[in-house]
Amino acid sequence: MIKLENIERRYASDEVETTALVDVNLEVAEGEFLAIMGPSGCGKSTLLNTLGTIDRPTSGHYWFGDQDLAAMGEQALAKFRAAQLGFVFQSFNLIDELTIEENIALGLAYRKDVSGNKAERVAAAMDTVSIAHRARHFPHQLSGGQQQRAAIARAIVGQPRLILADEPTGNLDTANGEQVMDILTALNAGGATIVMVTHSPSHADMAKRRIDMLDGRIVASAMRAI
Amino acid sequence: MNRFALLSLYRSLTRHKLYAALNIGGLAIGIAVFIVLGLYVRFETSYDRWIPDHENLYMVQSDFNLPGSPFDGVSYQTPWALLDMLKETDPELVGTNIMPAYGSVIRDGAGTAENIAPADPGFLDFFRLELAAGSRDALKSPRNAVLTEAAAERYFPSGDPIGQTITLSHDEGPTNYTVGAVVRDLPANTQFDFSILIPIVQSTSPTIIAEERNLGALTALTYVRLETAADVQGFLEKMPAFIRQHGDGIGENPDEMLSYVVEPIADFHLGTADSLRQTVATLGIVGLVTLLIALTNYINLATARAGLRAREVAMRKVLGADRSKVMRQFMGEAILTVAIASLGGLILAELGLPFVNATGGLSLDIPYALVVPALVVLAIVAGALAGFYPAMVVSRFQPAAVLASSRSPGGGRGGARVREALVVFQFGLSIAFMIGTAVMMAQTSYIRNADLGFEREGLLVLSTFNDPGLDDAAKGTLMARFREIPQVTSVTAATMAVGGSGSNTGENMELPGVPGPGPSVRKIDIGDKFFETYGIRTVAGRVFSSEFGRDDATETEDEGNFNIVINRNAVPVMGFDSPEDAIGKVVGGDRPRTIVGVVDNVRYTSARAEIGPTFYVYKSELPDFAIATLRFTGDPRPVKEAVRAAWQESAGALPLGMETTDERLETFYEDDERTARLFAIGAGLAVLIGMVGLWGLASFNTARRVKEIGIRKSLGASATDIVKLLVGQFMRPVLIANLIAWPLAYFAMRTWLAGFDDRITLSPLFFIGASLVAIAIAVLTVLGQSLRASRTAPAWALRHD
Ligand SMILES: Nc1ncnc2c1ncn2[C@@H]1O[C@H](COP(=O)(O)OP(=O)(O)OP(=O)(O)O)[C@@H](O)[C@H]1O
Ligand SMILES: [Mg+2]
Repeated sequence: MIKLENIERRYASDEVETTALVDVNLEVAEGEFLAIMGPSGCGKSTLLNTLGTIDRPTSGHYWFGDQDLAAMGEQALAKFRAAQLGFVFQSFNLIDELTIEENIALGLAYRKDVSGNKAERVAAAMDTVSIAHRARHFPHQLSGGQQQRAAIARAIVGQPRLILADEPTGNLDTANGEQVMDILTALNAGGATIVMVTHSPSHADMAKRRIDMLDGRIVASAMRAI
Repeated sequence: MNRFALLSLYRSLTRHKLYAALNIGGLAIGIAVFIVLGLYVRFETSYDRWIPDHENLYMVQSDFNLPGSPFDGVSYQTPWALLDMLKETDPELVGTNIMPAYGSVIRDGAGTAENIAPADPGFLDFFRLELAAGSRDALKSPRNAVLTEAAAERYFPSGDPIGQTITLSHDEGPTNYTVGAVVRDLPANTQFDFSILIPIVQSTSPTIIAEERNLGALTALTYVRLETAADVQGFLEKMPAFIRQHGDGIGENPDEMLSYVVEPIADFHLGTADSLRQTVATLGIVGLVTLLIALTNYINLATARAGLRAREVAMRKVLGADRSKVMRQFMGEAILTVAIASLGGLILAELGLPFVNATGGLSLDIPYALVVPALVVLAIVAGALAGFYPAMVVSRFQPAAVLASSRSPGGGRGGARVREALVVFQFGLSIAFMIGTAVMMAQTSYIRNADLGFEREGLLVLSTFNDPGLDDAAKGTLMARFREIPQVTSVTAATMAVGGSGSNTGENMELPGVPGPGPSVRKIDIGDKFFETYGIRTVAGRVFSSEFGRDDATETEDEGNFNIVINRNAVPVMGFDSPEDAIGKVVGGDRPRTIVGVVDNVRYTSARAEIGPTFYVYKSELPDFAIATLRFTGDPRPVKEAVRAAWQESAGALPLGMETTDERLETFYEDDERTARLFAIGAGLAVLIGMVGLWGLASFNTARRVKEIGIRKSLGASATDIVKLLVGQFMRPVLIANLIAWPLAYFAMRTWLAGFDDRITLSPLFFIGASLVAIAIAVLTVLGQSLRASRTAPAWALRHD
C-alpha cells in the first residue's frame, strides 16, 4: 500500500542544518501493524508526519497506491488526509472549545463523500472506545486515558485505511496504555493498517512488525515471531 | 507598580511591537478625536460665558402667536424703543440694546464693508466690556464711534486713534464720527459681531417715534439685567399689561398676539438654530463614541493578549503570586498604556487641529491647562476600567487548567462571548457612522444641486443695491447701465433675491366668504422681468406684464384693485383646489386683489427653511428696498467687472456687494457641509479604529488557534476550510452589528433630515451599502492573517504551543 523511496527531510535553521530523515526506504502493506522505535530525536515523529503528509520530505518519493504524494498539491493532500488517514497524538490534541462528541464529529467534517447518518457513525466510534457516557463533556473535564480514547474515536470515525499513532500511550499510565493498545489491536484485526511510534518495547511487541531508527535512518526491521 | 512590573510592561510592549502599535495607536486616535470634538463642543457651548455676571443678563425676545404665518414664533429682535418704554414702566430696570451690524467705512472715496452697530450708550457698561483707550461714556455723544482694537488697528495703524475722525456710511450715508474709545477685541465665542459701535440716533419726528414704538417694528436686540428668579418672574408678569398698553400698532388684543420671553445671554448662541444644537450634540456624541470604541478595542486586545500570557500568569501563580498581585499588575499596565496613548492622542490632536480647523471653518486651540489634567483623569479612570476586565479574566485562570490545555485560554466561552459582544458594539457604531456619513453627504450634495424653482446658473445678485446712500435716480441709471452689458440678457429688481434680501414682509390675506383676517402670506415686491430673469416656471395663468395696467401696483398699493401672482404653496393656504382654480379669484377683503397667475415654489434661501405661501406684487417703478438681479451668459468675471465699473460711476464710494447664486447660497450650504465633514472625519477614524481593533483581535485569535489549525489540517481540512473558519468567526458579530446599527442610524438620520424642508428620502441603499462596506472591511481585515494561518505546515503547527 505504501512505499517510501529515498526519503530525506532536512530542517534548515539560521545556523545549523538538521537532517531528521536520511535515505529512508520503507514499505507498508495493507493490514499491517507497524511499530517504530528509537531514541529521542532520531526522527520517528518526522517519519510519521511524513507518512501522514502533514510534513513534506525534502526529497524522495512517497507512493500511496500508485500516487506519488510527495509531488501532490496541498489541496489534494488535504482531501487525501480527510479520506484515508486517522491520526492519534501523544498529547491527544482535542480542541478545547468543542465537546467530545463534536471533536469526534470533526473527523468527518472535512469529508465531502460521507454517506449515511453522521451522528450514528460518531456514536458507533464512541462505542468502540467506550467514551459515549462522556459525549457532552469538554476535553479538560476528562482524564488523559479518556481523552486519548476520544482522540482514537476521532481518528477512526472516518474509517480510514491508515491510522498513524505517535506515542499514543506516552502520556498514559499502564492500565490506560493497555486499554489504548487493545483498541488499536482490535482495529488492526478489523482490517485497518496502523503505523505507531512508541518507546515501550512491550507495546511494540503487540505490533506485527517493528523497525528501529537511529539518527534519521532505519537501522533494523523485524517481524514478530508468531 | 514596582520596578519589575515596569520592566515587564516595557519588555512586553517592545516584544509585541504590533500589539503595542495597535493598542496605543488606536487608543491615541480615539483620544485625539475626543479631544478635538470635545474642544469644538466646548467652544460652541461657551458662547458669552466670558461676560462677567452673564447669569443675570437676559435677552428680551418677541414671541408672536400668529398661527400659519411665516412670522409665527420667537423673534429675538424687538423695537429699539422697547428699552426706553420698559424703563418708563420700571425706572429701576437696568438694560441696554444694540442693532444688527452693517455698513461701511469710507476712506479716500472708497468704501470697505464693516460691521457697524448702533448701540445704547450704556452698552459698554452693561456687558462690562474692557476699554483699551478712551472714555466709557463715548457713546453718549451722538457723533462718537467706538472701535474694537482690530478695527482701530485697521484704520489707524500708526498712532492713537482717540479723537481721530472716521467716515462711516450707515443709515444716513457717509457721516464723520470721532473715535471716542477703543474696546478690547471680543473673543470668538460671542453673539456680538460688531467692529464699530455708534450711538443710536434719536428722532424728533412724532411719526417716526410712533413707528419706532410699534411693538411689531423688530429693529434691535434688547437686554435686561434680572438678578434673581423672582426678578425674572416679576418682569415677565408685567409684560401682558405692558403689551396691552403699548401694542395698538400690532392689532386688536395685542397681548394675545405677542408675548415677551427672556433668555439668558449664554443660551442665545445655541438657541439660534436647531441645526446648530443638533450639530453640537452629534459631534459631541461622535467624539464620545469614538473614544468608547477605542477603549473597547483596548479591552478586547488586552483580554485577547492576556490569554496568550495565560501560561506566564499560571506559572506565576504556581510560584506563589496571588490574585490581587496579578490584578494590580494588569491594571497598572492598562493605566500606563492609556497614559502613553493619551500623550499620543494629545500630539495627534495638536497635529490634526489645523486640518480640522480648516475643514470645519473653526479656530480651535488646545487649552493645555484644562486638557492635561483631564487626560490624567482619563488615563486613571479609563485605564482602570479598561484594565479591570482583562485583569480579572487573567487572574481567574486556573493554573492547572491553563497548563494542561492544548491552546491558550481566552477566558473560556464567556470570554469569547464578551469579546464578540465588544466587536458587535464596535462594528454596530461604525456601521451607524457609515450610514450617517453617507446620508449627510448625500443630503448636502443633493441640496447643492437641488431644483430651487429657478435657473440657478448665470444669476448675479447686487446685494448692496438697497444701500440707503443710493438714491432712486442713481438706481435707475445703474439698471440702465446693467442692461447695456453685452453678456447680460435680463435685469430685474425685487425685495427678494436668491440668498435672501434681509427684508421680510407679510400680510394677512382676507379670503372671500371666510371670516377673520385670513392667512398670513409672505409678500414680495418685484420690478420688471422678475420671473423671466429668474426663470421661474408659471404653473397657471400668466405672470405680470406692462401690457396690463392693473398689474402695476405702484399707485394703487394702499387701496387695492391690482393683480397679484401667488406661489404654488399659497394655493391650498388660500383655499383653492388647484392652481387653475385660483386664477381670476379676488382676495384681500377691502383691498381687493385679483390673482392672475400661479408660479412654482421658489427656494430663495436655506433648504432647511420652509417655503411659505407667497404673493408677488408688481411695481413698474423700482420697489423700495429692492435688490437687483442680473441674468448673464458665459463667464461671470467680465460681467462683474462691467458691473463694478458702472457702480463706481453711479454709486461712488458706496461698498459694492455682488455674488452669483452659488456664492449667495454658500452660507446656507456651509454649516451643514461643515458638520458633514467633521462627522465624516470622526466617523472615518472611528471605523479605522474599529478595523485596527478587529485586525488585532483576528491576529491574536489566529495566534491562539495555530495548534487547532494544525489539528484540523491533520484531519483533512484544506486551506479554504481554514480561511472560512477564521473569517466566519468574525462574520457573526459583524452581521449582528447591523441589528444595532440600522435602527440607530435610521432614527438619528430621520431626525437630522427632518430639519430640512427639502430633503432626500432615507433609502435602504444607505443601510445595505454601509453594511456591505463593513462586511468587506471585516473580511479584508482578517483575510490576510487567515490566509497566512491556513498555509502553515500542520506538523509545525502541532508543535506550536
Ligand atoms: N521544525 C523543526 N525544526 C528544526 N529541527 C527539527 C524540527 N522538527 C524536528 N526537528 C529535529 O529533527 C530531529 C527529529 O525529530 P523528531 O521529532 O522526529 O524526533 P523523535 O524521534 O520523534 O523524538 P522523540 O522520541 O523525542 O519524540 C530532531 O533532531 C529534532 O530536533
Ligand atoms: Mg516524537
